[in-house]
Amino acid sequence: MATDTTAPRVGMMLYGVVPSDVEPTGSAQGVGNPPADVTTVTEDDLAALVSDVPLDRPLGRPDDLTAYQRLLDGTAAVAPVLPVRFGTVLRDAEAIRQLLADQHDMIVPLLDRLEGRAEYVVRGRYIESAVIAEILDTDSDARQLREYIQGRPEQETTQQRMALGERINGAIEAMRQADTQTAVDRIGKVVEDLVVAEPTHDLDAVHLPVLVEQAHRAEFDAVLAELADGWSGRVEMRSLGPAAPYDFVDRLALARDD
Amino acid sequence: MSVVQAGGGGGQSSSLADVIDTILDKGLVIDAHVSVAVVGIEILTINARVVVASVDTYLRFAEAANRLDLKSQEGSGLSDMVGGAKGAIAGHAGKRAIEGAGEKILSKAGDVLEQIAGPGEEDRDRPRRRRGG
Repeated sequence: MATDTTAPRVGMMLYGVVPSDVEPTGSAQGVGNPPADVTTVTEDDLAALVSDVPLDRPLGRPDDLTAYQRLLDGTAAVAPVLPVRFGTVLRDAEAIRQLLADQHDMIVPLLDRLEGRAEYVVRGRYIESAVIAEILDTDSDARQLREYIQGRPEQETTQQRMALGERINGAIEAMRQADTQTAVDRIGKVVEDLVVAEPTHDLDAVHLPVLVEQAHRAEFDAVLAELADGWSGRVEMRSLGPAAPYDFVDRLALARDD
Repeated sequence: MSVVQAGGGGGQSSSLADVIDTILDKGLVIDAHVSVAVVGIEILTINARVVVASVDTYLRFAEAANRLDLKSQEGSGLSDMVGGAKGAIAGHAGKRAIEGAGEKILSKAGDVLEQIAGPGEEDRDRPRRRRGG
């Protein structure tokens, strides 16, 4: 390698930190095109999941995001992992080692608390026709607006359509609040921690990242199945995971000193 | 209805939208002040999806209501659903009767999970542990 005092052209992307007994399988792949191999940089009892990344090319293409998540979620399924924010790049392996040494006493307790746990994201999406039928049945004003626009040209009924849509949207927001509370009450009993996340779609019913102890996984699945059963026909329930504890890093770090 | 279980890691049933919702602005922040040699690299702008009630949303809901064939919905246990909705809107959360899920549903959810997280995919991009945890 030529000695060069200018900025390096290759950095090291840091995906997450794991206990040092975790190692990537040969085929673990990271960001980049072609995808870079993922390796570990070890310092004491900690290891960083890293890959080389060229610095002259922006990060954040869909493949980059997917590779980042796949690596961390795959890791979370077998070992505790502390995800590091997407796009964190350090100069080289030596810088990573120094970071692990500096932050050792902060990271180790967090990893201990994550042992045997993983994040799942519980999502519910309203089935549009079902919830609108519910709303029309309970809201006579909405019903009247619907009768008014039916059979009239769209251009002549913009005002009524706006009013109807606003009523429906308001009713969905109220439903979301009530259904989220129901989910929190029931799921909260079988998970270690949960966060009420903002909706990301106007038909979102429930958006709850949860931290689940693998030992209590069956109870969690059972509660989810009960919820889904009770909402059958009006909410489509999904559970994403196991995932790295993206939504709990800050909370765990804050709770550390308790 | 069973719960659809999507494997983590942007697997086949996890869309890019899910990936963005899951990872964006999350994870440990390495503060440049406490750490060494954080290298600046351009990150493409990825906007978090935020729900803002808009004219488009209202018009879409209105059109959905307009097209709804209420008669065809009535045959499918709508009255039960509506009972639930009234409770929900009135804020009586948690009082909705949820009858126990049969074993059938539980096993069904398990089947889906097995199909999605098939053994072929399991180990591919995933670090493994040298010794037991």
